[in-house]
Amino acid sequence: MMCTGMNRFTSLIVPWGLLSCWVPAAVAQAQAVSGQMNMADHRGGISGTVRNAGGLAVAGATVMSRNAEDGAQAQALPPAMPGMQDAERQALLDRIAALERRIAELEARGTAPQPGTSPVAGASADGSLAERLVSLERRLTDLESSTVLSEPETRVRQVEVWVDADGVEHDQPVPGARRVITYQRERVYRRQTINEKLGEAIEDAENRRVRIGVDSTIVPQGARRTEGSDTRTTGDVFALASADLFFTAGLAQYTVFFADIVGLSGSPPDAEIPSLSLINGYTARLVRQNELSLREAWLRTELFGQRLALSAGRLDLTNYFDQNAFANDESTQFLSDALVNNQMLGLAVNGTGLAAELDAKTGLRLKFGLQQSNTDAPNLSDSIFTLSEVGYTMTPFALPEGNYRLWFRTDNSTGSRATAVGVSLDQKLTPIVGLFGRYGSTDVEGGRDHQYSFGVGFQNGLVFSPRDTWGIGYSQLTLAAGEQEKLTEGYYNVQLTERLRFSFHLQHVFESPLSESSFGYLLPGVRLQAAF
Amino acid sequence: MIATRAAALGLIAAGLSLGVPATRTAAQGARITDPTSVVLIVNRDSNDIAFMDIASKKIVGKVFLGNNVNPHMAMMSHDGRWVVTGGTRANKAYIIDVANVRLAKTIPVDLAPEHLAFTPDGRFYYQGNPDGDTISVIDMASLTEIKRITGLAEPLNITFTPDGSKAYIGNYGAHWVGVIDARRHELLKKIQVGQVPGVSRLDPEKYLGEIKGVSNASISNDGRYIYAADGDLAIVAVIDTRDDKVVKTIRVGPDPWRAFMSHDGRHAVTANNGDETISIIDTRTNSVAATLEAGPDMTGVNFAAGKAFVVSATSGFVYVYDMRSLRPAGRIKIGTNIQLETATTDTADEKLYLASSTDNSIYVIDARTHGVERVTNVGLYPWGTHIMDSKDNYCH
Repeated sequence: MMCTGMNRFTSLIVPWGLLSCWVPAAVAQAQAVSGQMNMADHRGGISGTVRNAGGLAVAGATVMSRNAEDGAQAQALPPAMPGMQDAERQALLDRIAALERRIAELEARGTAPQPGTSPVAGASADGSLAERLVSLERRLTDLESSTVLSEPETRVRQVEVWVDADGVEHDQPVPGARRVITYQRERVYRRQTINEKLGEAIEDAENRRVRIGVDSTIVPQGARRTEGSDTRTTGDVFALASADLFFTAGLAQYTVFFADIVGLSGSPPDAEIPSLSLINGYTARLVRQNELSLREAWLRTELFGQRLALSAGRLDLTNYFDQNAFANDESTQFLSDALVNNQMLGLAVNGTGLAAELDAKTGLRLKFGLQQSNTDAPNLSDSIFTLSEVGYTMTPFALPEGNYRLWFRTDNSTGSRATAVGVSLDQKLTPIVGLFGRYGSTDVEGGRDHQYSFGVGFQNGLVFSPRDTWGIGYSQLTLAAGEQEKLTEGYYNVQLTERLRFSFHLQHVFESPLSESSFGYLLPGVRLQAAF
Repeated sequence: MIATRAAALGLIAAGLSLGVPATRTAAQGARITDPTSVVLIVNRDSNDIAFMDIASKKIVGKVFLGNNVNPHMAMMSHDGRWVVTGGTRANKAYIIDVANVRLAKTIPVDLAPEHLAFTPDGRFYYQGNPDGDTISVIDMASLTEIKRITGLAEPLNITFTPDGSKAYIGNYGAHWVGVIDARRHELLKKIQVGQVPGVSRLDPEKYLGEIKGVSNASISNDGRYIYAADGDLAIVAVIDTRDDKVVKTIRVGPDPWRAFMSHDGRHAVTANNGDETISIIDTRTNSVAATLEAGPDMTGVNFAAGKAFVVSATSGFVYVYDMRSLRPAGRIKIGTNIQLETATTDTADEKLYLASSTDNSIYVIDARTHGVERVTNVGLYPWGTHIMDSKDNYCH
């Protein structure tokens, strides 16, 4: 190999992938033939033939020389792309020029240009294509090194090791060694951008703090009497506003704390219309007007491979039992309490309790819970409700999924042990349409109370906007004493944004009390809900 | 390709008959004679590709790519001769000589190369560069980038039709699937998978903050249909590959990551991270057959032994579903305080090889018994795995 005008260039670099095994021979030849530096052309030049260890010429090799004093480099490049048409060459030149401009912009925006990375270092604007490409690659590498974090990162990892009787640590299980969890530093070459670093830090901070959520709802409703005595109210308008503040914090592995503080204000229709069940499900939360009350506060932990979940504290057991995919949430589905939970559950208010859920994710779920449901109880033994439930998810008769639940309840609030039993099922008929149904019965003095409800729910189709839902439901409640309630409700829920919902409701309730004549009301209403 | 495959199989037979192990250990100078005998492990933070022998579960070779390369996905060529990977932070593609377990070529590509695919004839490999909005076409004969396809929007995954005439590109930064003429390596058209709902104007935070478009265009076994899930729109668009038109839009759960095709082709499963469910689509009726509870941060779905295995990255669980009854079939506890990545399934559909990044391990799951075996210290931050000819080679 011949090098001309290069007496101050003392090292020679050959791309590893091309010539790694021939470097000794090439270096030896380069040292043997170094000549005089031509100061007029300080970029210098390299020419000659690269030979491998066997003395054979190597085609297409790129050879680079570097000045040991100032780092300047020069290259001998293979002939520039023989056979290339003028148009293709021009297109390539245009692309390279565009790349050079972009890199120049980045260099100007980011860090000071690195030594030897300016557009004229190593390659002139009118140099050969390959020369300019090499220059671009070098500048890009410099940019990558300087504009992102490329320092090796140190992390601490939890590691599993095996320690033998002599205290020697092994990475793999060995006979007689015991498994030990420990922590060890790791040094990794993970290049991250500033954005990624910031994102990780913010996420970490988020995970450590107490999370706060808000669910605020206002429900204006009107009531027009459809049947019954003229002495009953008609044409009145009602409104109830509710705001829940949620607090969640992780306390330990698989252990969280949750609290829900609620404040309500306004007059629901239940204040004037003496229906057997609550027309507005939110009324159940109304303890005192314009005051905050602690609705729930509990700890939840998961045990045995997270198969068993235990929640203890001030609970609302209806969150765990008698669930239903289409009729179980007054904030997004039906407003009537009779279509939110089975009235035979009998739980009036939240209280101290415990809930255990066993779910091995096979479709079968077992639950047990107990809760006090009386704010005036003098001790924890009074007004204790126990609930047990078995639930199963299946896909019967080639239908989509359905959930079937059977529950059993006891309570001692009347002094003797009263029991109730009920079912709750929801079954999709198609991905769009699903049916739901509930039945419950409880023994009371003089007989049994019964309630059944059923209806249909729609989602993912037959809607104006993709995430809207709607449904129609009917409930009939019959008490042992002879009173009866028939309630029908339809709703359409519009999801305006991720955090904002708006729904229209039309309810009709027909009551047959014992002591007076029957009456009925038609109640149109809207619900505006913000949750974030 | 067939001839080469036959040759590779011949080598296996020869190895077996002579009682010679298909792989030799790294200490002896790693050499892999049977590319089907190893699992590739992409170690993001130790910047290497490791080769784990399936039979012995030992690492038999590693190819270091360079500091700060951070490889993302690796794939073996159809003939088992090469392994290709994209170095996300180096903006380069890497070609590994499998037999000699050495780096054969480094090719500069566009920004942040991640996912990739070989053409069915193995002549080219498409390297997606999501940050560059391009795909680099790498010629496997000359090991050079012969073309860079522009006009894409965060191209993540690449799917070729069985005849190799077209490639479908999932654009995560848009709501369309790109169709590429794979003979001329040109973007032919953009197929809109669905319309953004009108109420999106009320929700700029969701629709303008970050886009979650199409991650992958999954193809049916017969190559007739593409199933493209869109994260923001919560749909799967069914595209007829004959005329490249959407023939059906299937609504699934919120934020579906992608559709994973079952091996028998009867179902497609989307992992809906928005509500932690999966939607199982019946591909005969193109409707959701069941929507079932799953876990948080799902990264992938594998199929084996008549079941679907859904990887939940942050919970440490793999959720299992019976694909005959379409019912939950339990969940497998892999560990605590770990982050699971993605898995590949062996060609016998018996075992899964699951990468677990934060404990530098691979977990081998028996699909029939749900037994788990851990292989430790495979490299730093294993991001994914790959087995030649597996039907579940994917990345995230």
